[in-house]
Amino acid sequence: MIIEGTFPFAAPREVVWELLQDPAVLAQAIPGAKRLDRVEDDRFEGEMHVSVGPVSAAAFSVTVTISDKVSPERFTMTIEGKGPLGFTRGTARVELHDRDGGTLMKYRADLKIGGKIAGVGQRMLDSVSRTMTRQGLEALNREVQNRLAGISVGATSRSPAVRWKLSMVLLLLAIVVLILILRLA
Amino acid sequence: MTSRRFFGERFTRNEDARLLRGLALFVDDVHLDGMLHVAFLRSDYAHARLISVDTAAARARPGVVAVYTADDLGAYWQPGPLLVAPPPIDGLVFNAATQVPLIKDKARHAGEPIAMVVAESRYVAEDALVDIVVDMDPLDAVVDLEAALEPDAPVIHEQHGTNLASHVVQQKGDYQRAHREAALIVKRRFHYDRGVAGALENRGVVAQWDARCEELTVWDTTQAPIPIRSGLARMLGLLESQVRVIAPFVGGGFGSKIMMFYPEEVLLPWAAMRLNRPLKWIEDRQENFYATTQERLQIHDAELALSEDGHILGVHDVFLHDTGAYNPYGLTIPINSQCTLLGPYDVPNYYTEFRVIFTNKTTVTPVRGAGRQHGVFVMERLLDFAAKELGIDRVEIRKRNLLSSDDFPHNHVILFQDSAPLVYDSGNYLPALEKAVDLIGYDEFVREEQPRLRAAGRHVGLGIVSYIEGTGIGPYEGARVTVEPSGQVRVATGVGTQGQGHYTVFAQVVAEVLDVDLDRIHVTTGDTREFHWGTGTFASRGVVVAGSACHEAAVAVRKKILGLASDALGVAENDLELEGGRVRVKDAPERAVDLGELAVRANPLRGAVTPGTEPGLEATAYFGPDRGSTASGVHAMIVEVDRETAMVEIKRYVVVHDSGRVINPMLVEGQIQGGVAHGIGNAFYEQLVYDDTGQLLNASFMDYLLPTATDVPRVEMAHIETPSPLNPLGVKGVGEAGAIPTGAAFAQAVEDALAEDDLEIREIPLSPNRLFEMIRDARATR
Repeated sequence: MIIEGTFPFAAPREVVWELLQDPAVLAQAIPGAKRLDRVEDDRFEGEMHVSVGPVSAAAFSVTVTISDKVSPERFTMTIEGKGPLGFTRGTARVELHDRDGGTLMKYRADLKIGGKIAGVGQRMLDSVSRTMTRQGLEALNREVQNRLAGISVGATSRSPAVRWKLSMVLLLLAIVVLILILRLA
Repeated sequence: MTSRRFFGERFTRNEDARLLRGLALFVDDVHLDGMLHVAFLRSDYAHARLISVDTAAARARPGVVAVYTADDLGAYWQPGPLLVAPPPIDGLVFNAATQVPLIKDKARHAGEPIAMVVAESRYVAEDALVDIVVDMDPLDAVVDLEAALEPDAPVIHEQHGTNLASHVVQQKGDYQRAHREAALIVKRRFHYDRGVAGALENRGVVAQWDARCEELTVWDTTQAPIPIRSGLARMLGLLESQVRVIAPFVGGGFGSKIMMFYPEEVLLPWAAMRLNRPLKWIEDRQENFYATTQERLQIHDAELALSEDGHILGVHDVFLHDTGAYNPYGLTIPINSQCTLLGPYDVPNYYTEFRVIFTNKTTVTPVRGAGRQHGVFVMERLLDFAAKELGIDRVEIRKRNLLSSDDFPHNHVILFQDSAPLVYDSGNYLPALEKAVDLIGYDEFVREEQPRLRAAGRHVGLGIVSYIEGTGIGPYEGARVTVEPSGQVRVATGVGTQGQGHYTVFAQVVAEVLDVDLDRIHVTTGDTREFHWGTGTFASRGVVVAGSACHEAAVAVRKKILGLASDALGVAENDLELEGGRVRVKDAPERAVDLGELAVRANPLRGAVTPGTEPGLEATAYFGPDRGSTASGVHAMIVEVDRETAMVEIKRYVVVHDSGRVINPMLVEGQIQGGVAHGIGNAFYEQLVYDDTGQLLNASFMDYLLPTATDVPRVEMAHIETPSPLNPLGVKGVGEAGAIPTGAAFAQAVEDALAEDDLEIREIPLSPNRLFEMIRDARATR
């Protein structure tokens, strides 16, 4: 599955980039994210618990490896997610461009999806993943605005030292897919 | 043989009272004390190396009784049997790889089982699947048939070093000469894609070990209970008499339930014995999409050589056949394709070559039609294109090439799926074609109706195609007929029943010989305790082979009846007749004796019998034909296409069918109507879509469309009866016929309806979406 698109942030690239380093912010933007740990320099492991309606699923483990990182321009994520209802594997590329005084994010994820999600979720995968990607990005944009206004959300939101990976946007995309499973289950 | 007619009559079905009142036993109706439930953990990956399976958490879950992986099976872990050995064809390549009960080294298709959980309920068992931690290393998948043979393709079965499962060439005459002499060569590539069997009832197994009687009972949705019994006995080290396999009422088989041995069929009996508890597993629909065998992906590169006046000089066909992850069913399907392609036509020269390819998809075994539709599609499409190029009417070009009724038996030289030469036993093709032309109103439609509707802006078209179907192959079936002291008759045969009406048609076969009312004839099928020799229900052979065995057994019982009655009545056998459950004197019908009374006499409790006398009015007989009998027919349909939405409505559907002698027209028509529904599904609705990693993208009835009642017209039918000389009943098979030529007829009809777009349909299934693309592309290239 290809998920691609653009999203405008009303903030300079550096602000967006910094935001994308912050796991706590991202965890809040991602529904169901329980844990995001950095296990190596450019390697992260997360765990999701997602409930949709009456269905609560077991944990999904997600591993993200970052490569080709050029601050504050671009990075590539290699994603592997596994859970009882299926798996997703693939790569995602995120680029930040200056645009009209703000930032235009371009993203393109090429994800292979397998298991129950692939088998019964096709009709929803496309539209739901697009919708949820957008919702996640909008949540990030709100956080950008909050930061510009000097307000922070999340206990650790001001910790650039954590050097969190942009990966989370992609993680978001991966997770979207996982969430779909639950809708179908 | 008797005064009343039991053949050719529309008797209602003996089994329906039970089915309609919900009293028929299906596997899921089996409830046993202490029964546990089974769920399977299946691979999400189509191709992946298995690194580890950790079942500790699953075992610890309350309610879980056992969890098994391949390692737990020990020596019981064995690949399944090769069910059909390849025919003795010169130069044949065959690389066997059969399915395994649980994955040991790697997954070869998505849905392949990794572990088996036994628990107090299915709910607990399914929850425990989530507890199992599996580590797998994904490999590149083999999906595309042509890419599978590239040197750098990943290899699915390392022991073979190639994804080539088989390579076969068969020839008749000299195609190259035909090619040189031809006035026209029509050459095209054709695709026919995958679908499911789609039985209403999914698979299911219940296994019970009775430790006191030392007897294993297995209820199984199989189409082949006797081979399952024999195989389980061998694998489990039991006597065959210790294993009873019951295939009770089964809600549709369509071929996928003839596959043996599915992992579940092997594992439940084993675990039931180990745990000494009854076990049940009922496949859910999603599992069915992954774990039950499928059919139909082939790619043909075919050419037809013709004379100027449209006579076929030869056919050259090279095709690829997708067998999925394993090939337990040998070459049955591709050989059916190459043998059915010749159709009812006189084809003097034929070159046919195929390669069977392993792919990381669910295993392929026969599904209703079993490769025959591919051959029909290729041949009928080539004839359509040739007719167009030569300016010959499409019915006329077929008429010019049909075998005449004097041509039988007709030897096509190449070997059929039963390893015997492809010899058509009998046929009468021209009258069937003419009858179909008449019934569909071909001349009037082409001359008046179509031009009139076209002028009104409507896109209507007609399709008409011929086909043959090899049916009723051996090796053999058997039956036992017993007259009981009550005068009722018991008939037992080994084939299983999946809704065909066996309880009725076998009763008719016996009644025709014994003249007993049908409701006093009780048929048992598919219970190895009742009858334990035979092979199964497949290849449109139930009535041909098992029916003939019923007939032979009934004839033997009749002989015993007449002998006893002759003694009882003091009248010569020739002066006796059977009527209504009695034997009477022809000239003095008031002198009669009941069959029940004769049954009592046949089992004397005191006194003496002549040495060599067998007790009872009972006989067992076996029947095995020399080779299969060839059924035939013509399908014609009229469609209307909405050119904006590309939706197709089938307005009329005509089938003229020749399955030899018809025992019960209602049952034959039911088979054809159902087959046509299946064929329409294959033609326009049903398609399994795999992505390039081997993931099935439409594993539910939300996305995999079965035709509904509103999509399937009531088929108008006519029967032509050309008896088969190969069996005492003169019958041929009919179970698959309806599904075979549907795609070819549909493609022709849709093309005809869209004549202005000048489409060439070379693929099945179509869909509204695909047809829309074709119309759009046709417009773009004009």
